[in-house]
Amino acid sequence: MAELTLRSVYKNYGEVPVIKGVDLDIGHGEFVVFVGPSGCGKSTLLRMIAGLEDISGGEIRIGDRIVNDVEPRDRGVAMVFQSYALYPHMTVYDNVGFGLKLANTPKDVRDRKIREAARVLQMEHLLDRRPAQLSGGQRQRVAIGRAIVRQPDVFLFDEPLSNLDAALRGDMRIELARLHHDLGATMIYVTHDQVEAMTLGDKIVVLDGGIVQQVGSPLELYNNPTNLFVAGFIGSPRMNMLPGHVDDLIDDQVRISVDGASLTLPLPFGSVSKGDSITLGIRPHALVVSPDGPLSGTVQLIEQLGNETVVRVRLKASELTVVLPGQGNFVVGSPVSLGFALADIHLFNADKKRVRRPS
Amino acid sequence: MRTAAPNTLVARGLIILLMIVTLLPFLSMLSAALAPQGTYPNGLQWPADPQWGNFVKAFEVAKMDQLLLSSALIVLGVVPVAVLIATMAGYGLAKLTTNKYKWLYLVFVFGLTLPFEAVITPLYYEVRALGLLNTRFAIILPLIGLYMPFGVYWMRAHFLNVPHDLTEAAQLDGATRWKEFVLVQVPLARPAIMSLTILLFLWTWNQFLLPVVLVQDPMQRTMAGALGAFQGQWGTDIPLLCAGSLLILTPTVVLFLIFQRQFVAALMQGAVKG
Ligand SMILES: Nc1ncnc2c1ncn2[C@@H]1O[C@H](COP(=O)(O)OP(=O)(O)OP(=O)(O)O)[C@@H](O)[C@H]1O
Ligand SMILES: [Mg+2]
Repeated sequence: MAELTLRSVYKNYGEVPVIKGVDLDIGHGEFVVFVGPSGCGKSTLLRMIAGLEDISGGEIRIGDRIVNDVEPRDRGVAMVFQSYALYPHMTVYDNVGFGLKLANTPKDVRDRKIREAARVLQMEHLLDRRPAQLSGGQRQRVAIGRAIVRQPDVFLFDEPLSNLDAALRGDMRIELARLHHDLGATMIYVTHDQVEAMTLGDKIVVLDGGIVQQVGSPLELYNNPTNLFVAGFIGSPRMNMLPGHVDDLIDDQVRISVDGASLTLPLPFGSVSKGDSITLGIRPHALVVSPDGPLSGTVQLIEQLGNETVVRVRLKASELTVVLPGQGNFVVGSPVSLGFALADIHLFNADKKRVRRPS
Repeated sequence: MRTAAPNTLVARGLIILLMIVTLLPFLSMLSAALAPQGTYPNGLQWPADPQWGNFVKAFEVAKMDQLLLSSALIVLGVVPVAVLIATMAGYGLAKLTTNKYKWLYLVFVFGLTLPFEAVITPLYYEVRALGLLNTRFAIILPLIGLYMPFGVYWMRAHFLNVPHDLTEAAQLDGATRWKEFVLVQVPLARPAIMSLTILLFLWTWNQFLLPVVLVQDPMQRTMAGALGAFQGQWGTDIPLLCAGSLLILTPTVVLFLIFQRQFVAALMQGAVKG
């Protein structure tokens, strides 16, 4: 049993607050991903869970134990470092078995566990080598092997794939997902790569400035970002954001104007008022070319990706990214009109919070 | 390649010149040591009839076997203890101290600036007060202390280069600080420990001033220190004196030849890591 609970956790480095009150519940066996821009405190939060960093305030529980003052080795966690942190003077076999040796595991049990881990990670042929004789991907496997032999309650990963090339990263991502499925253990995974976050996570925690912006499943975050930050961070290419304001309120409808276009949307009464500034968010994939669409501008830039075409469109005061299926023929400088389904629109108020549509 | 050739020639010439300058005194000593007893060789010409027996005689009159033993005892008393303490202190100062205690290290660095000759007189009175005058401890204990600034500086520099991640990985693997030190840090520090050991060995073996001042009986001194007494006794017999000096040099040269690979490797490693 390894639920993990964080209750108003704070971290200050001297006077500088880095983690500013994080509350989080992680269930047993969940794969949770921390994402956020560089410097937002992902690593710090992970290291606080591991016990490598003191907690300035709040409470961390693993299972039913408060672990604030528990040594890292007694927390039942294992961590895979971005740098792998393998012991250079030991063979792969000894690296993987080091924790078991320290725990005085009998030699035969140890051997069995090491070989089992090596089998799972397909690195049996590497056991006699030293870390210096391994490629990046192989080192990564060893680092993961070292974590899994100890059968921890919680696995912690700090950007474990960021030193690998794109192809290997893809492979390792699939392997990690498989590992999670096989082991059924709780995993917390830090990344700033939102593709990794979307594909691996049961649950994504978006952090910015030491504050949790939103917690939810990948699709929840994609479909219902709670604020402008999450909307901009999740999804690639980035969501288009058009500033505008509320023109009028009629019953459950609002009329807004953005960049010269006027739209009427259904919204619950009182969620916005006349004259408010708002931001309209719309994903590049949600836009379609439609001759009578409300947004019209000129084509600025075309990127042909083969299966789809990315087009930058200049409106009166802002630019939009549009991703269209296929290899449509566009000409730079030609006019284009864009439309979208009302359901694909995200609306944010002046506080950058999402304005809910009636569902 | 073509343009490099003249440079290579110059470099080779310089190296050969340096070698000659370094080796000449030794050759000169060797020629003197082989001269017949009672003569006053000028050290510039090879004796017509080399007296290799001078070495046997010097070995006997200087009681080299006893001196070797005495030197070995002193080295065994100093080097392992000094290396152990320096390694632990270097680790502590590199990995276990927070910014608040940075100044502790400065205390050691300050020790590096102290000229050895400046402490020898107070050292004499201190050793006398401890009642250790004329024992090997009069050499062993001060040397351990005197080596600390350099030893700690040396080991700390090494430990600073060990990534902190390794410490954290060991902690998560269940290691206590001690286990981490013994099972992870010390094995990784082997090159640094090795070169420190060799350096301290050489310095101890060649220790001259300290034994001469603090220990009367030549048989309790290091070999180099005993050279002082030997010189007093046989100062007029130049061939014998030279033969004795060469004998005293031999162990360090042999040791250096055996370990030069490790020695150079260790020094190079430090240089590359910067
Ligand atoms: N030891 C430290 N002392 C002072 N400030 C620190 C320390 N460690 C981290 N910080 C600060 O804490 C903030 C969060 O750092 P953290 O390493 O958690 O970021 P991150 O989200 O992991 O970023 P990245 O994606 O670049 O790894 C940063 O602004 C960083 O400058
Ligand atoms: Mg980080």
